Amino acid sequence: MQKRPESQSKPQLKSTTPSNGSQPSSVPSRAQQERTYALPDYRQEVSEITVRQVRKGEEVRYEVSGDLHAPVPPLRDSKYLSQQQCIAIYRFMVMNRKMETALEHLYKQGKVVGGVYFGLGQEACSCASAYALAKDDWFAPMIRNQGSLLVRGFRARDTMMQYMAKAGSPTKGRDGTSHFGDLYERNMVAPISMLGDLIPVLSGVALGARLQGRDIAVMTYIGDGGQSTGVTYEGINFASVQNLGLVLFIESNMWAYSTPSEMQYRNKDLAERAIGYGIPGVIVDGTDACQVYDAAHEAVERAHRGEGPTLIEAKMMRMKGHAIHDGANYVPHALFEYWKKRDPIARMENYLLHTRKWLTLEENKALLEEVEREIEVEREIAVNSPMPQPESALGGVYCEEGCHTIRPKYGVPKVRKGTGAFRQTEAAVHLK
Amino acid sequence: MPQLTYLEAIRQGIWEEMERDPTVFCLGEDIGIYGGAFKITDGFIDRFGAERVLDTPIAESAIVGAAFGASLTGMRPVAEFQFMDFIGCAFNQISNVVAKAHYLWGAPAPLVLRGPSGGYVHGGPFHSQNPEMWFVHNPGLKVVCPATPYDAKGLIKASIRDNNPVIFFEHKYLYRRIKEEVPEGDYVVPIGKARVAREGTHLSVITYAALVHSALEAADLLAKEGIDLEVLDLRTVAPLDRAAIVQTVKKTNKVIVLHEHARTGGLAGEIAAIINEEAFDDLDGPIVRIAGLDSAVPFSPPQEKFYLPKVSDIVQEARKLKAY
Ligand SMILES: Cc1ncc(C[n+]2csc(CCOP(=O)(O)OP(=O)(O)O)c2C)c(N)n1
Ligand SMILES: [Mg+2]
Repeated sequence: MQKRPESQSKPQLKSTTPSNGSQPSSVPSRAQQERTYALPDYRQEVSEITVRQVRKGEEVRYEVSGDLHAPVPPLRDSKYLSQQQCIAIYRFMVMNRKMETALEHLYKQGKVVGGVYFGLGQEACSCASAYALAKDDWFAPMIRNQGSLLVRGFRARDTMMQYMAKAGSPTKGRDGTSHFGDLYERNMVAPISMLGDLIPVLSGVALGARLQGRDIAVMTYIGDGGQSTGVTYEGINFASVQNLGLVLFIESNMWAYSTPSEMQYRNKDLAERAIGYGIPGVIVDGTDACQVYDAAHEAVERAHRGEGPTLIEAKMMRMKGHAIHDGANYVPHALFEYWKKRDPIARMENYLLHTRKWLTLEENKALLEEVEREIEVEREIAVNSPMPQPESALGGVYCEEGCHTIRPKYGVPKVRKGTGAFRQTEAAVHLK
Repeated sequence: MPQLTYLEAIRQGIWEEMERDPTVFCLGEDIGIYGGAFKITDGFIDRFGAERVLDTPIAESAIVGAAFGASLTGMRPVAEFQFMDFIGCAFNQISNVVAKAHYLWGAPAPLVLRGPSGGYVHGGPFHSQNPEMWFVHNPGLKVVCPATPYDAKGLIKASIRDNNPVIFFEHKYLYRRIKEEVPEGDYVVPIGKARVAREGTHLSVITYAALVHSALEAADLLAKEGIDLEVLDLRTVAPLDRAAIVQTVKKTNKVIVLHEHARTGGLAGEIAAIINEEAFDDLDGPIVRIAGLDSAVPFSPPQEKFYLPKVSDIVQEARKLKAY
């Protein structure tokens, strides 16, 4: 049996048998002992929608199958979030979307260098996950998590200036998109393009903190496509073996560029991979901010207790193409229709307005207008800031004298030493 | 002063740094109770504990990624590759994460990636490589290749204290073959500074690591014929000590560049370009390259011997160049 902390063995738990390899419950077996594993699944609906390649006359296309007319379930009440916190997350989600809409306009006005990436339909996953972190925890976003940057205290102008390659961007023009970090205030590692590489890096951050006497949570994300990389395995396994507080969100958004998740892995759910690592795996509805938060919160608490990593699979849909250039014509239209009804912001709005009555229509209107105004101010600042001087491409390759002082972030490690003194070794070695 | 082998000198350097600075820790495969494939960390776990002498899974990308992550919190990780040949498995972490971190977002990464490299031990194609050029071509990294016990200790200490990622190539042929007096206690050898290993007047051999010793041996043979070789030991291959290269060219006016790794795209090409840019008028002859062949390092001793630069190659080329 997989060990699960108390907090995760609550009633929502649906036990499933692993769908890969042998199926102990249905296939008669001569084995003496069969093991079953449980994966907590917080979802209120379990959609069985699949995509596959089929030949249609002269063309090969993607075809979707499953119940695409299922009713939208209500949000799951959070076990932890207060009214105020729910509204705060909702506001970040709205800001996330409005910022990306502004970016789309900037792109159409020819102000963006390169493309624009969107997290449309994934705002709940980005914002509610980062919202669960404590100040001392670390964090690294991927391209769909521009909302989580706002949660961690960056301004919309930072991301906008990155896209416009401005001198005032966090990387001073040296990199674009959400590729920026902050080691000092926000404990954030900058992402790089290569998918999966952040996972061992974040594990190392947790290792560093532990050597300094602190168990922290380190959160990052990986796509249903990106998780196919080898470094993903290395990173999660390292965190598992070392019992480091990695909180890894798998953003199961059905697509990796133009490739459906069916062509990335064979498991029913990616959360099953957790079993292989010997760590807890959880499934949530990535369009339900309350579920995302609760799972993140429990994983973060686990990390703070020094109990090791958690893998959280968030099921949702990438509601645009890979980036702005990609019209996503390969995605069956019905799939967009299905997920449009599950828009995370609309669901949260409805929840706050009608289910909980935590927000009145007027308050909501005021909130939306305020965010709109803020985005407009941010946009103005970003647009009017200068481009970098060409020569600013120079310098900074190395950390030179006086450039940074390096000191342990959480305190000087308390080291315990044995009594052995240095002695020369004569032991046999590999290849002489 | 005690006589130390190259291997003991590195061991002592890391040991002293771990004694001195609680943020220094080691991670790698089999480095704990076993003490590492080459025994660099033999006995370290008893002194410093399993937290600071951390045995990892066989996962080079994870080792580099974790070392980098820990360095972001202000630790100074020293990561061991069991053989430097395996560093290719972590190439993306090194090239795209570690090397670019300071340039892109001002993140200093004070980590050391170290391990045994080089041939002459019949290790075959996967245990004999000198992959330093992969990293010389990655701005943001420092690449260090010591030739002597004294330098090995001083440079490993400097590498650990450096605020930049340093790749530290230990030549496994030298591990227990050379011994010299090494002072106990603290000293560092600065990164980026070459050393004249032998003063000479007729021509210069620019080299590093194990081949410094071959060049010195050749110099002794050539001295009997009245050819006076200067040997420049680069010690660091990124950043290169351009001043020292130019200085030796200005002195002898004739240059042989000598390295173990494959000839094409090798360090000699870069050094020839530097001389071309900065000391072209001082040359009295063509720049000569002596290097490994453009193939993998073969396993069988006669083949490996054929592949790698030999003392006799240096003697021969020096005679020709002297007569030019
Ligand atoms: C190692 C690597 N290979 C290829 C790419 C190019 N690439 C960028 S995003 C992407 C698709 C990613 O899909 P997924 O991980 O599911 O994330 P999503 O875009 O759906 O959020 C690809 C192939 C990359 N960034 N990294
Ligand atoms: Mg995806």
